[in-house]
Amino acid sequence: MSFPSPWHTIGRHGLLPAATHDEMVRFDIVAHLNAQIAQSLSPKVKTAYESRARQSFRLRHGRDPVDRHEVAEAMRQEPAYRVFSLVRRNTMEIRQHAGRQLVAREAESLRDRAKSANEGADTLKLDPTLEPPRYVSAVDTHLMRGGYTAERMTDDVTNPANYDAGMYATTGGAAGPWNDAAGRALVDWLRREHPQFKPRRIVDLGCGLGHNTLPLRAAFPEAEIIAIDVAAPMLRYGHARARSLGVSDVTFLQADATDSPIEDSSCDLVFTTMVLHETSRQALPRIFSEAHRLLRAGGLTVHLEQPPYRGLDPFEQFMRDWDGRFNNEPFWSALHESDLPALLVKAGFGAGNVFESRCAALPPSQTTLKNEDFGRAPSWYVVGAWQAAKGIAALG
Amino acid sequence: MDHSLPQIADPIPHATPAEAGRRPEAPQFTDDPMLDRLYGVTLALVTELAVTRSRLDALERVLTRRELVGQGDVDAFVPESADATARSRLQAEYLERVLRALE
Repeated sequence: MSFPSPWHTIGRHGLLPAATHDEMVRFDIVAHLNAQIAQSLSPKVKTAYESRARQSFRLRHGRDPVDRHEVAEAMRQEPAYRVFSLVRRNTMEIRQHAGRQLVAREAESLRDRAKSANEGADTLKLDPTLEPPRYVSAVDTHLMRGGYTAERMTDDVTNPANYDAGMYATTGGAAGPWNDAAGRALVDWLRREHPQFKPRRIVDLGCGLGHNTLPLRAAFPEAEIIAIDVAAPMLRYGHARARSLGVSDVTFLQADATDSPIEDSSCDLVFTTMVLHETSRQALPRIFSEAHRLLRAGGLTVHLEQPPYRGLDPFEQFMRDWDGRFNNEPFWSALHESDLPALLVKAGFGAGNVFESRCAALPPSQTTLKNEDFGRAPSWYVVGAWQAAKGIAALG
Repeated sequence: MDHSLPQIADPIPHATPAEAGRRPEAPQFTDDPMLDRLYGVTLALVTELAVTRSRLDALERVLTRRELVGQGDVDAFVPESADATARSRLQAEYLERVLRALE
């Protein structure tokens, strides 16, 4: 029997909040509860659907549910789904509350540690005139109060510290000690699929605290790396965290992923990890246009996300949509119903240069969870496009 | 019947007062909002009981490491007569408090 990794095994760096015994156990229980939800409650939801709810839908409609909305209708009264949802939602609330209390106690210390790590560095470029878009600033994404942009005091870093510490609890350590599974998965995918590809300039759009940026630093030591985000607290924390981990040559730039100050045709790799589902329907195509603008000929844009709903069994769509319905992820459902390859073509990439793929951070035998915890396993859908050589795009 | 509860202030201040009211209402998963709240409190108690049990476990292990308690001493603990009476009283009082609502 395997257990989620206890919180004290998280990678240590200079910005990690110092948790007491009780605070660590709260995170441990969150990890256990999430494992229970995936291992025990989630299969019961499936059984309830297959043995009862689908049948009664059939009796009413003379056919099976065809999409996630109809599955939701069929499942609305099912006790197994209600219990699953109650426990899952409350586990997120407990995780957020535990993290909030931890970082509130450490708020001044975290601010001072970040300040001293960032002192004098020209690689942290904040833009106080930047107004974060409302789709970021107005949402308490996954129940994180204040979201990515909130500041409780000048130079605050409490929300990113909560995000960093709590992510390890939410995933039960499945993303590794540095919470960087998506970044490592991207590196593995690039090495496997495109071993000749050696980007000289890399941009991470919507880097957050940079946890998935740093594996790219390790993989491409010669490259210039620019990590951009609209949220100043995330960048302050991420920059300080990177420096405390010995990485001092990644630029953390406060800018909008739809409109960055980076020059046209100057980059080889423009990527996102788990960002698109937190962008609005209006911003999404503009992020792809921005990637197209930034890339030079032969450059690559890659995006790691949870898989689209298209082609999935309606019940799986319904289960994967839980975060969209109940975890304050207001753009989740629309994103997973979007045709991302078509949007890349619309942004200017040649249809023949657009691709879809899969990647994973760890071989399945090494993952801690037996059943996939819809949306939280360390494997991703990959969608992207190559920038055609000059002249070819015009024909394309 | 009015199911609304008084607002309980969060011990951690919100980022800004403007943000305090912007959260969408918590979803309701049962037919009775009181039941949803009961689940919330119960799961929080589950977490806090685990914290307490782990803390006791940590304490025993620290005492064992320092050789103040031998391995298995707590499991083999049998209270002496006066202690037993005091513990029985504690247990009865505890149950009375916990089961108060059922009386």
